[in-house]
Amino acid sequence: MTDKPLAIIIEDDQDLCEIFTQALQAANFATETIRDGKTAFQRIAEEPVPHTIILDLHLPHVDGTQILKQIKSDARTSNVRVVITTADTVSAELLRDEADFVLVKPISFAQLRDLAARLHPSRKTGPLGPLRTG
Amino acid sequence: MNMCHRFRPFLNKLLDVPVTDPDDSRRRKLLNVILAGLFVILVAAFLATIGQIASGDATQENISLSWKLLAVIAGTYVTYYINRNISGFIASTVFLFFLLVVISISDTPKELIDGRSLLYFTIPVAMASMLIRPYFSFVFALLSTINLFILGYISGLAPNILAMFGYFLLALVSWLSSRSLEQALQELRVLNRDLDHRVEVRTRELSEALTRELIEAGKTQAILQGIADGVLVFDQTNKIIVANPSMGSLTGIRPNKLIGLDIPTFCQEEGIVPADRPRLQALLEKPSPNAQAVRVRWNKKTLSVNAAPVVSGLGETFGSVAVFRDFTREAEIEQMKNNFVAMVSHELRTPLNAVLAYAEMLRDAIFGPLNTKQFDAANRIYVNSQRLLNIISDLLDQAQIEAGRLKIQLAETPTIELLENLRSTMEKPAQDKGLQLITEIAPNVPQTITCDSHRIQQILVNLVNNAIKFTPQGHVAVHIFLADAHTWALAVSDTGPGIPPDDQAYVFEPFWQVESITTREHGGIGLGLSIVKRLAMLMGGDIKLESTVGKGSTFTVTLPLQPVLQKEESK
Repeated sequence: MTDKPLAIIIEDDQDLCEIFTQALQAANFATETIRDGKTAFQRIAEEPVPHTIILDLHLPHVDGTQILKQIKSDARTSNVRVVITTADTVSAELLRDEADFVLVKPISFAQLRDLAARLHPSRKTGPLGPLRTG
Repeated sequence: MNMCHRFRPFLNKLLDVPVTDPDDSRRRKLLNVILAGLFVILVAAFLATIGQIASGDATQENISLSWKLLAVIAGTYVTYYINRNISGFIASTVFLFFLLVVISISDTPKELIDGRSLLYFTIPVAMASMLIRPYFSFVFALLSTINLFILGYISGLAPNILAMFGYFLLALVSWLSSRSLEQALQELRVLNRDLDHRVEVRTRELSEALTRELIEAGKTQAILQGIADGVLVFDQTNKIIVANPSMGSLTGIRPNKLIGLDIPTFCQEEGIVPADRPRLQALLEKPSPNAQAVRVRWNKKTLSVNAAPVVSGLGETFGSVAVFRDFTREAEIEQMKNNFVAMVSHELRTPLNAVLAYAEMLRDAIFGPLNTKQFDAANRIYVNSQRLLNIISDLLDQAQIEAGRLKIQLAETPTIELLENLRSTMEKPAQDKGLQLITEIAPNVPQTITCDSHRIQQILVNLVNNAIKFTPQGHVAVHIFLADAHTWALAVSDTGPGIPPDDQAYVFEPFWQVESITTREHGGIGLGLSIVKRLAMLMGGDIKLESTVGKGSTFTVTLPLQPVLQKEESK
């Protein structure tokens, strides 16, 4: 076990998975990747509870919005920072209030790395201000 | 009574003389009445005489009297005939002359001149004014006077000057009274005629108006029956008073079942998709000539509904009219198009995102240091994938705005933040091109503005991006100011080539750019300005362009100053 905070990346596209992993690792997170909705659904019920989840909305089997609902409704995981990634600006619009952050694809490496750095628990600059994305 | 009723038409037929001159008609009728009365008396006298003869009193006198009576009856009938069929004037003159003669031979000359029969001569004098003409009383007064002279001459008696004077006096009185009677009647007739005329005119006007209205109503009815769009007319109390046949075929409800429904009841019709009901109700309850059409899904159809108040020429509102158009096919095509665009955009974005991010990582030496050529290559991949992505983003935005899915979220935003965010994104591209990016806020602009800062940002980035793209040198300036008490404005001006007047009207159309060559030169597919316009309109504002060729262009977005919102409202 490392003392780095854990980020789970839920994303079906392999290349994007790789990029997100690189970005989060660059921001000093430990990472775990999941490629489909069903596995993601099972994983969030298990330990360890991650610090941050990067969640794609378009996933095989189980839709990302359902996973978001599950995370936010379970007391265990309700404090987990959720960053939604989507190419659909309408979904992004709808989730503007529900998720902690919504990143509209295309997402650049630097953008995610910088956001992750701001989310990192070692950063003690008080509550996070609004961050314009998309 | 019954007898009377049956007898009267017969009597009228017997006595009335149908001529156009009402005076003539009246006189002839009067003569007829006298003749008829006389006729009855004569017939009665004749019958009595015959009776006497029959009962054995066949004296010579009686026989002579019966012959005389018969002759007078015949004369009466002839007079009646003349009066009825030839001339009232002749008949009356003959009758009165005959009467005069009868009077003249009815008694001894002495009695006629001075005695008991003197007054009989007044009868034709008085009657002449009534039966012939008012002034004929003088004629008969003169005739009576002559008669008296003749009788006096025959009998050798002195003429009765006093009686003659009396005749003329009577003639004068008769003349005056008849004349005033005729004048009164005349006036009455004029009055009547005037009244008749007025009634006639009014009746004609009414009937014309009615005919016109019937024709109009018929036309309106025919139009309503014939058009393919469903039409509902609501009265002032918001109840349906007209529903045309197309309304029935669109909704599957018989039009006469819709009549009388109020708006809330109508909006609860089973076929309407529940989610669309409030929208429909809001539109129908607040009809406006500029209202945007509302889409309502009804059974398996999509209807485009518009409502407008019915206002009279005097500005009085009579109710409203709603038009339902079958939009099913268009909606399907639109949906297909939107799905297609969104799907394609999404499918293109994901791999491009990977290309873009890998190029970025390569360029930014995440995987280790690069030499200059490698850096250049990575950067080119990055820049070009970015361009491609921008095109896709534009397409996706356009598709979404057209689908009406973009929502505006108002929040209080520090005014300065709008420009700071813009600078952070656009400063670098401007510098890269050697342009100066100037931002300023007019002093009277409030410190915070209620707006959707995300959308404002999109507008500003689009406009500034565009300005940078087309400006070879100089500056791009962004200016926030108050246009008037209710409007604030964002102006983006550049020192670019400007847009020719002929082209200015088209710049807000999707896929349009000044000359095709600029497309190749500057990239992008021209969705930016149309998106800006749609966004501005979505927020209740507008955009206008001022441009001089060779000097530059200024795009000004005007937006309504929103009141400071309460927390609940901003949700």
